[in-house]
Amino acid sequence: SGGAWKLLSGLREGQTQVDHPQMDDVAYWCHPIDVHFATKGLQGWPKLHVQVWHQDAFGRTELFGYGFCHVPSSPGFHQLECVTWRPLGSWQEQLSQLFVGGGPQLLSSDLIYTGADRYRLQTCAMGTVHFQLAVLLRNFDRYGVEC
Amino acid sequence: MAEAAWNEDTGGAVYRSRDPIRNLRVRVKIQRVTSTTLLLQQFQQSSCQPGQQFISLSTLGPHNTASGHCPEEEKEEAIIGWQEKLFSQFEVDLYQNDSACQSPLDRQYHQDILKLEELGGRKNKRIFTYTDHDRFTNLEEHCQRVTTSAKEAPSYLAEMMANVRRRRQERRPVEGNILKSRIITWQPSEEFIKNNHVINTPVQTMYIMGDLGPQGKLGCKEYEYVLCMIKVDSNGVITVKPDFTGTKGPYRIELEGEKREMWKFTLENASATVEEKEEAREQRVFKDLYSRHKEYLSGLVGSDFEMTAPGALRLFVNGEIVSAQGYEYSNLYIHFFLELPSCWSCPPSQPLSGVTQTCTSKIYGKDRVAFFSFPFALEMFFSPEDDLEGSFPQWPVLYFEVLSLDFWHRYRVEGYGFVVLPATPGAHTLSASTWRPVELGTISELQRFFIGGSPELEDMTYTRVPSTFTGDRLSRFGFRSETTGSVTFRLNCLQQSKAFLESSSMKKRMQSVLDRLGGFSQQGSLYNVLEAFQRARRRMQEARESLPQDLIHTSASAGSL
Repeated sequence: SGGAWKLLSGLREGQTQVDHPQMDDVAYWCHPIDVHFATKGLQGWPKLHVQVWHQDAFGRTELFGYGFCHVPSSPGFHQLECVTWRPLGSWQEQLSQLFVGGGPQLLSSDLIYTGADRYRLQTCAMGTVHFQLAVLLRNFDRYGVEC
Repeated sequence: MAEAAWNEDTGGAVYRSRDPIRNLRVRVKIQRVTSTTLLLQQFQQSSCQPGQQFISLSTLGPHNTASGHCPEEEKEEAIIGWQEKLFSQFEVDLYQNDSACQSPLDRQYHQDILKLEELGGRKNKRIFTYTDHDRFTNLEEHCQRVTTSAKEAPSYLAEMMANVRRRRQERRPVEGNILKSRIITWQPSEEFIKNNHVINTPVQTMYIMGDLGPQGKLGCKEYEYVLCMIKVDSNGVITVKPDFTGTKGPYRIELEGEKREMWKFTLENASATVEEKEEAREQRVFKDLYSRHKEYLSGLVGSDFEMTAPGALRLFVNGEIVSAQGYEYSNLYIHFFLELPSCWSCPPSQPLSGVTQTCTSKIYGKDRVAFFSFPFALEMFFSPEDDLEGSFPQWPVLYFEVLSLDFWHRYRVEGYGFVVLPATPGAHTLSASTWRPVELGTISELQRFFIGGSPELEDMTYTRVPSTFTGDRLSRFGFRSETTGSVTFRLNCLQQSKAFLESSSMKKRMQSVLDRLGGFSQQGSLYNVLEAFQRARRRMQEARESLPQDLIHTSASAGSL
């Protein structure tokens, strides 16, 4: 979230457990997100930013995807699908990734939630992360904000 | 009929209280009523007397008078505190001799009874209690029958539950810490299982009993009836079964046996209420606490909020290019820019165009999709000029082109499209279909496949109304295109204006207009929003003119902050 936003309660970041999908290639985490923000302005509306990692049988972790989505600006219950991507390496790297895993990662995570330098990236589409968010807004109408 | 006054509802009631439970007092009144089948009773009396003679012959006289002739004397009232022990005749008889006492509790009761005797005997005759420590309370729960089956045996689960529900008086306060240090217990102990496998809030139970035996023959187990059961857990939840008799009539108990005697009883909450002064003080303390917390929170945030200039509409869009699907080639990227029509402005530092990363597509369902999740935030101001009042206001448009990168790092045009930013605030997921220009013949397709390059639009605004267009009829005759995929956008729109603030009734009216026009085209609703906005603006200008000058200056300076 931007500078005008202040965290009142809740955790800014968290990590889920490692889930072993049994059916349908879907991992269920049921990870709670509970944050309370106060703001002085509209700029820098909070964003959710996710990194999906994969842990293999040897306990090694590799990156499976980066994703982000805006927290919905309208109050109510929202089901969000956050699509993810991961950086693509050269063909040698892709080959080694196929057999031994690994692969390139972003040096800084800014690229996930800012768009400025994205054009440098070569990525490939990965899975989607599902969110269920219930958003409550207060006092926005007092400042003439329609959301 | 007296029958109508009976309270038939013997269901329990649940109360919550934050006050200490030791303040709970229950007033119980019990009274024998003249049975409606009095005649029948008297008729039967002769037949049942021989049986009773075995039990005690001496009490025959008073018993007769009690049951039939002066029933008003047969009443008793008691005020019982939480876990207050009132002994029954049976218990007095039992615990009086020391030899019957086995457990420490029994011995304690023995002492109590002796003390009572010294003080002049107990006051209660028929009403007595079983507290949480008594054997009765445990047994009662364990042996409770659920069905009418004579051979009902408690199931394995019921037995285990009976063990589990051993009352734990004190909660271990360290539970939270244990959870934090170890998430999983690989070898759960017996005690751990007991404590955790059921939702087990420790309950304390108390039974208020009535000894409804014949006068002078008190203390027979078979005449003991449960008048009321009170359960209290550590969270202050009080379960009373049956409920206190308030405005409803008393409960009745009909004895089994040949005489069918009727008893009625009432239960009242006789707890001392808090004094008014004390209650007020408590509320003041709470109010103080809440206001302090509020102050603390508002101190963290501050009270000022950025406002728009008066008369301007601020449109704030948190957008995201989610994905592109259905395109012929892989390695897609999207180039987009925002077109601001006249009367619109934006902060100079804000980029109005962007390029996403190149994304290799994958098969998802039927289509090939490329995921971008590319964020952009757009902030725009709409400040209408007065001479444009009559004309149709324009809304910002997002133009984009989808391009694909080939093996030699040359790009192909995959599609052109545009999205008009939504005129209604809120979250929108839009899917914009695209097309690309084609040339007739296979040569251009071969060229596109092998060496890249394909016809492109010189001006991307051609996808909508070209920016250079001035005529009164837009014709695209002779232009050929091919349908390609679609791009998904997710846009969260926020609108801010002092006009919205000015009157909420206007806002409601606008909402209803929008609702009615829900099925119409976006243009229609857009026009309505702007119309409502204009109307509000005009009204505000009128209001401003009627205001004294100095007030306007202060409001203007506040707005520009």
